[in-house]
Amino acid sequence: MPDPLLTVDDLTVAYDGAVQALRGVSLRVDAGSVVAVLGSNGAGKTTLLRAVSRSLGTVGGAVTGGTIRFGGQDLARRDASWAVRAGLVQVPEGRRIFRDLTVEENLRAGGYTARDARARAEATDRVFDLFPILAERRHQRGGLLSGGQQQMLAMGRGLMTSPKLLLLDEPSLGLAPQLVEQIGDIIEQIHAQGTSVLLIEQNASMGLRVADRAYVLEVGTITASGTAAELASTDDIRDRYLGVGTSSPTRTTHEDEPVDVPVHLRRSSTATAQELRVEDLTVRFGGITALSEVSFTVAAGTIHALIGPNGAGKSTCINVLGGAYRATSGTVHYGDATVSALPSHRIADLGVARTFQNISLSLEATVEDNLLVGRHRVMRTGTAAQALRLPNARKEERTEREAVRRIAVLLGIDAVLDRAVHTLSYGDRKRVEMGRALAAEPTLLLLDEPVAGMTHGESVVMADAIRAVQQELGLSVLLVEHDMPFVMGLAERITVLDFGKRIAEGSPQDVQRDPEVLRAYLGTAAA
Amino acid sequence: MTYLLTQLANGLSYGLILGLIAVGFVIVFTSTGVLNFAHGSVLLAGAYLVAVLHDPIGFWAAAVVGIAGAALLAVLINAVLVRNLAEANPGTAAILMLGVDILLLTELTRRIGNRVLTIGSPWGADVFSFGGITLPMSRVIAAGLAIVVFALLWFLFARTGTGIAMRAAAADGDTASLMGIRLSRTGAAGWALAGALAAIAGIFLASFPAPGVAPTLAISAFAAIPAWVLGGFDSVVGAIVGGLIIGVVTALAVGYESELHFLGRGLGEVVPYAVMILVLLVRPSGLFGRKEAVRV
Repeated sequence: MPDPLLTVDDLTVAYDGAVQALRGVSLRVDAGSVVAVLGSNGAGKTTLLRAVSRSLGTVGGAVTGGTIRFGGQDLARRDASWAVRAGLVQVPEGRRIFRDLTVEENLRAGGYTARDARARAEATDRVFDLFPILAERRHQRGGLLSGGQQQMLAMGRGLMTSPKLLLLDEPSLGLAPQLVEQIGDIIEQIHAQGTSVLLIEQNASMGLRVADRAYVLEVGTITASGTAAELASTDDIRDRYLGVGTSSPTRTTHEDEPVDVPVHLRRSSTATAQELRVEDLTVRFGGITALSEVSFTVAAGTIHALIGPNGAGKSTCINVLGGAYRATSGTVHYGDATVSALPSHRIADLGVARTFQNISLSLEATVEDNLLVGRHRVMRTGTAAQALRLPNARKEERTEREAVRRIAVLLGIDAVLDRAVHTLSYGDRKRVEMGRALAAEPTLLLLDEPVAGMTHGESVVMADAIRAVQQELGLSVLLVEHDMPFVMGLAERITVLDFGKRIAEGSPQDVQRDPEVLRAYLGTAAA
Repeated sequence: MTYLLTQLANGLSYGLILGLIAVGFVIVFTSTGVLNFAHGSVLLAGAYLVAVLHDPIGFWAAAVVGIAGAALLAVLINAVLVRNLAEANPGTAAILMLGVDILLLTELTRRIGNRVLTIGSPWGADVFSFGGITLPMSRVIAAGLAIVVFALLWFLFARTGTGIAMRAAAADGDTASLMGIRLSRTGAAGWALAGALAAIAGIFLASFPAPGVAPTLAISAFAAIPAWVLGGFDSVVGAIVGGLIIGVVTALAVGYESELHFLGRGLGEVVPYAVMILVLLVRPSGLFGRKEAVRV
């Protein structure tokens, strides 16, 4: 048995000296293997990677016990820079490419510690071999790449020092099914070239496909481990992470069975959902046409999904509806109002609320305060009354806190109401963002990738929550999402975009069988 | 016409000197997030070293010592004070820098007293004439040198590993450290560059037509602040363009003051700020500033 490349033994990690993120985690990565770590949000997966790559300090965490050894060396007194030089490189969650640097400069930054110019040139060639698209776009700024290309750039940047062990944090996050498969293939290629990989992945079917061994991390402890094949065959893993029958919707549509609602939400006004009509919407940025004459209608009170490959224009569409972008031509009507002519705060007044693809929350504030911000639109007392703490302001504050608590219970974030947002995992932040949108009592909710970074089990819970609020508040939902089981089980109607054009529209069943959609987006995974 | 051209040339050369100072503000801000209000006294310290050393060791050696000394002083301020701040908060650091500025300025004022030290440059009070335009030789050399320095900066940031690492660290320090880039190093490099650029600018600000090195030199560095702000706070190119705009506008306001007397005297000191406010009204993030939330 060869010496393991990485051993983590009884590791404990705490944030801000209080919140325990890891409690006695042990795992091992043998040289030449791919190891996957599965787990729900807040389980401590990213914390584990940051502990190994010595980058916990920047997020306020610290190792409080246990050891990490890499190639026989204890990492206790080593910093991130040492780790990179020793061949231990982390590719961070959410890609985090340098947007203002060109593709080539991003790679150059990744190869910073490789002092030998020839080694650097060889590494660049290898990366360009692995990702030909990066060679093609080498002089473009990183920020102009699509999501999938940015992920490739982030991985390529990590490979520039020819590491012994590559730590990948959610490489498939927010990518279309076809691209997820491609990223899986690339991980296998990287492995074949002699780099070991420690992989964190919400997309468990991809993770288990490429991994030799896997660990399941739950609330800071390892609850299961074994070969990838062993884990893939256990019922628990299938239910919670794989989602049995991934290719077909397992749930019926919502009319058939009302969802159990833990708490009831009430509207403070009598506003009702209206029909949303998008007509011939075109958006251009500089020379690029992001959306080209796209039309669709979201009937009042229904759940409608926008799907399509990365860069198809889905987020652009949401951004126009929310008022962040201007339409170049075409119109958007919500009921009688022309949304495309209004600034974003006026759109909010119409009862349109949204979440963002790249989460946009006040990180230092608590979850409760973030949700209360969303109540701003429905609050009645003025600033002066609140500042002076007049009786009616105090009364309103109590009712508002109660309203916010109910939303938190519904989304399953009531336990973290007092925590600062920056201590939460990616998936929990997504829920907080949705809670803030709901707090505004919208009649139309725009959700940009609501279950990105969530396990299958968590996305089921989120789908129930969305269906529950739709019934409770009678609102319309327009969502963008790559998680196909989620979309197919939840949406009543689906519009498919590709290269800024509408290529299909219909019920989930129709869309899933559409050959054009299979070709452009779903790929073989859904066939 | 010749008068106008002279004023323009004057303004451009002055603007390039302001650009050297403003670029220093930008680099310190992007590499460590600090609004460096001690920049003026670092500039004065560099010029002071040149003024006291040019007699014993000659001007060129004194210039090298002055530039290196200012760079070292800036690195020390960063290493001893900024990096040990308990809270990495731009406000705290800015106030700390105001304190450092007062301390340094007090000490330098004590040393200089009410003298005006000559900078001892070989070009002295020479003038340069070309096609009817007359400029102080110091300004011509300053302009040429500034252009060379800016070209070197471009090479550093676009072509060298260290420069790219500095840009990466400025864009996203957390991610940059995952590439093995040491933020303490890129920060020190930023402060050293800023200090050296300030000292170069200081030498020329103390040359003819200015009388020499006096404590007020530290204040003249603040004329670069409007250039920095209107350029966009975090853009090196913006700082250079901002410097040129402020330089030209100031020179024209001073040169045509007699025609503009209805606006009152001392217009040259007010005009940079007026221009800055006008630009910010039209473009709130400056001419070259990064726009917030490019992609939502």
